[in-house]
Amino acid sequence: MKTILKVEALNKWYKNLHAVNHLNLHVVEGQIFGMIGPNGAGKTTSIECILGMKSCDYESIELLNQPIKRLRKTSKRHKMLFSQIGVQFQNNFYPDLIKVNEMCKMMSSLYEDVYDWKELLVQFKIESKQNTLVSQLSGGQRQRLSVLLALINKPKLVFLDELTTGLDPQVRREVWMLLKKLNQKGLTIFLTSHFMDEVEYLCDEIVILNNGIVCEQGSPQEIVSKLNANNLETAYLSLIEEENKNENFKNTI
Amino acid sequence: MKTLKTLYKTEIIMILREFSGVFFGVMLPVGLILLLGIIYGDKPAFEGASYTLMEQSVAAVLTIGICATGLMGIPITVSSYREKKLLKRLEISPVSPRTLIVVQFLSHMTIAVLSSFFVIFIAVIVFNYSMTGSKWQFLVAYLLVTFSTYSLGILIASLSKSVKMSNLLCSLIYFPTFFLSGGTIPYEIMPNGLKNVASIIPLTQGIKILKGVSLGNALSHYVSQSILLLFIGIICIIISIRTFRYDY
Repeated sequence: MKTILKVEALNKWYKNLHAVNHLNLHVVEGQIFGMIGPNGAGKTTSIECILGMKSCDYESIELLNQPIKRLRKTSKRHKMLFSQIGVQFQNNFYPDLIKVNEMCKMMSSLYEDVYDWKELLVQFKIESKQNTLVSQLSGGQRQRLSVLLALINKPKLVFLDELTTGLDPQVRREVWMLLKKLNQKGLTIFLTSHFMDEVEYLCDEIVILNNGIVCEQGSPQEIVSKLNANNLETAYLSLIEEENKNENFKNTI
Repeated sequence: MKTLKTLYKTEIIMILREFSGVFFGVMLPVGLILLLGIIYGDKPAFEGASYTLMEQSVAAVLTIGICATGLMGIPITVSSYREKKLLKRLEISPVSPRTLIVVQFLSHMTIAVLSSFFVIFIAVIVFNYSMTGSKWQFLVAYLLVTFSTYSLGILIASLSKSVKMSNLLCSLIYFPTFFLSGGTIPYEIMPNGLKNVASIIPLTQGIKILKGVSLGNALSHYVSQSILLLFIGIICIIISIRTFRYDY
């Protein structure tokens, strides 16, 4: 099994806040890898550090077997590497007055090998919104567009940060099916989520992050049985509660 | 190339849809040249002048388009793309910031050139204007003024920490430039004190060159002004590439 993402000893400080504390990750090709944890646990920061968008300390980070140390943003290697990676952030990134089709064309133009965006619009059930301004889409439609745009360049590895926030249960499931299908075709997925059912359904492997520290790691089943819980949600809640108690205890002494 | 073409096309659509750029960059100078023509017709620029006010003004009016696109359009677009996180998304794509700057230059310049075309067209067709000076030298001067103005615009975008700040800086630079550089109110009629203030504005020098060349002087007359503009342009572009940020 080939490693597609390897992170060793990643640390990120925001002034006095240790946002990511000695993070080690190992994502295997073909996996759906989930990172979960409370708001502010350091999930988005971790992704941004891995992608080289934030300065941070680390021993090594390898994306698709390429070390990102000293990778210049204007270099050919950077270009090659990032043409194989898809990213969806929590924040939207759309210009004010752009239409759905213009946005798709623009993102397609950045890459050499791309999916037909019209087909993707059909798969994501927003083909009727082609000529609508992105700003006039509903929250769910915009979210679907964001996930779609992360996949437009046929990535080998895609980062999806809170991929189904704002989607109704039915669409959420449709997005899951689609991702599963793409995953079966070889796409490796790194996702963050607050929905435990989603993580349980999709992920082969997860890490639970709290205050920048990984406090549990394994497959969802392993974690559930290790913590003696009924499902991932109860396992997660009890774990975070326990962690925070310890944290408070440490702070008081 | 495909990237550049698509980004350029998208940017043009955005500018047209946004419309304020079209208003300040195209409609305003066109309106102004019509007004000047209607009011002054073929009257001389001043008593005893060998050229008409129209002949003197065309070059200056052309710079309104350059200013509106370069000192309002470019910085506000770039900082809003930064605030909207579009630049952050492009950071992790195969596109380099250089391409983005080139796209901004090209798309806004298209609007400026369009504006110039209309102004000259109206001046020629309606008011019988014809340029005394060398058209090629005028074109060179035009490109030089555009380059330095746009570089200043990109610099504003790079230095400002938010869209609000960018807006403020643009207004602080754009409006004095608009009124004092000679683009709208002829430099020649200003009192001496004001002339001194106006001289500090880079575009004042640019307009001097454009006016002079359009009235028949050779570009070689304006070496120091040309070097100054070139210098400003290069410095601004170097600083803005060095300080380019994808995210606030």
